[in-house]
Amino acid sequence: MTDIRAKLRGFVLEELVYCEDPDTFSDDEDLLEAGLDSLGIMRLIMFAEREFGITLPDTEIEPDMVRNFNALTGWIESHRQ
Amino acid sequence: MQLLEDFLANLSSHPRSCCLVEGGLRLSYREVAEKAGGVARQLLTLTLPEGYPVAVALPRGIDATCAVLGILASGRCYLPLDLKAPRLRQRWILEDSRAVAVIGHAPWNDLTLPWITIDTISPTPLEPLPLEMENLAAILYTSGSTGTPKGVALSHRAIHAFSDWAKELVSLGPEDRIAAIAPLHFDLSTFDLFSSLSSGASIHFLPEGLTIAPSHLTAWLSDTAITGFYSVPSLLSFWSWKGNLSASPLPDLRFLLFAGETFPTARLRQLAGYLPHTRLYNLYGPTETNVCCHWPVERETLDSDHPIPIGYPACGDRLYIAPRHNELWVQGPTLASGYWQQGQLHPFLNEEGWYQTGDRVGRNDQGEYVYRGRLDRMLKVSGHRVEPAEIEAALLSLPQVIECAVVGIEDWEGIRPAAAVVMQQDEAIPTIRALLKRTLPTYMLPSTIRRLDSLPRLSNGKPDLVSIQAILTR
Repeated sequence: MTDIRAKLRGFVLEELVYCEDPDTFSDDEDLLEAGLDSLGIMRLIMFAEREFGITLPDTEIEPDMVRNFNALTGWIESHRQ
Repeated sequence: MQLLEDFLANLSSHPRSCCLVEGGLRLSYREVAEKAGGVARQLLTLTLPEGYPVAVALPRGIDATCAVLGILASGRCYLPLDLKAPRLRQRWILEDSRAVAVIGHAPWNDLTLPWITIDTISPTPLEPLPLEMENLAAILYTSGSTGTPKGVALSHRAIHAFSDWAKELVSLGPEDRIAAIAPLHFDLSTFDLFSSLSSGASIHFLPEGLTIAPSHLTAWLSDTAITGFYSVPSLLSFWSWKGNLSASPLPDLRFLLFAGETFPTARLRQLAGYLPHTRLYNLYGPTETNVCCHWPVERETLDSDHPIPIGYPACGDRLYIAPRHNELWVQGPTLASGYWQQGQLHPFLNEEGWYQTGDRVGRNDQGEYVYRGRLDRMLKVSGHRVEPAEIEAALLSLPQVIECAVVGIEDWEGIRPAAAVVMQQDEAIPTIRALLKRTLPTYMLPSTIRRLDSLPRLSNGKPDLVSIQAILTR
């Protein structure tokens, strides 16, 4: 879980969302408000599927799943089991 | 004769027909005309200097559309602001354009321009002022190669030439239900607004959030019985990949138009497979020409992974491949009137009367035009024009940055800008990112920023962009 969270944080905060300080960006901070857009989400899903060897079902892809790192990590984790 | 003429004809023949739908709100042609009439009247009661645009600070939707129609009816041109861009950039555009008023919801603080609050407009019959087709209708700001955004000024004639051609291309009629997805500052929106309203169709504004929920987008298109829409390949790729299209055929969807960047052939093949009865069209043209070339997708040619062609001339435009660099030159009715900078129109045609696109093109064995790349450094990021020089100017305006170079890096999901920077000691990249975010829209923010001790340079002293690209791709 920690590993997944760290990888997701690394990718999103390095490549998809601009923030003042990645270390203090909290896990419940709103990623969509921070600038994660549709192209970013597409890249994020590609990254997650490749990195964690999972397939994320079409019908689950919606704003609430990628709203913040807590939601995102939980969603990815639920497909690894 | 002007852009609103066909809308007015539909208004008088079918005033009660459905015109605009947004969420639970549905307005008839008459209701839309009356709201636009209220905007026009309010603009006419203000004594504003002639010859300058009125800005629209509203998101895509009923209010914004009524504002646009009202501005046009008052004899002025509209300037749509990108509300997702930083406020600094929006203010810069307001100043550069010399906009004389803004239409929006709550007024911005510290803005001295007259502000029209759309929510308090009272319905008034729409009586557009007579206009010439060469009068300006819209100014769309895009990224500029000189380091600042530049406005592309479109006349009534230019927008009409495209919207009327597109209407014929897809045989738009009163039964059509068009999904509006593009923001107003994107030239794709001229189809949504003017092709639809001039054919008596209804426009259905995509609810917020659906572009990031592809299967919900599919469900909405199905429930709303959308018959056609116009979007960018990156959004359609995501939709095709994760839109649950295999489980939900869209029998009402007659056509799909796309433009703004090259559609990867494999993804287009997948989409075409899911939508066997939908006519697909690749439209091509920089904002300066709107659409000047088009390719009705021939499904049988998608089996190979060759890039799809841009096809044949469109909208009555003439195309010419200048031998020197195989650059595409364009002449014809869809051409913009020029660039709008510091409140003035600057023509952009060359001495022979052509617009030089900066795109390299060729012809394939079938005689179709094929896009082969740019002559300059301009990038297309999800359909947005991105000039590396503008990102460099933003970086260099930061005291921490000594020198920099921006290039495009390409991977499996498209092209993104990336920057190499040489900085003062002790400055962190996140600080640079945070500062850039205050001035540049999201699609212009470099996805990678790498600190170098110095920029690799060519023997003539210019930055070696090929080496820099290699460093940033690593």
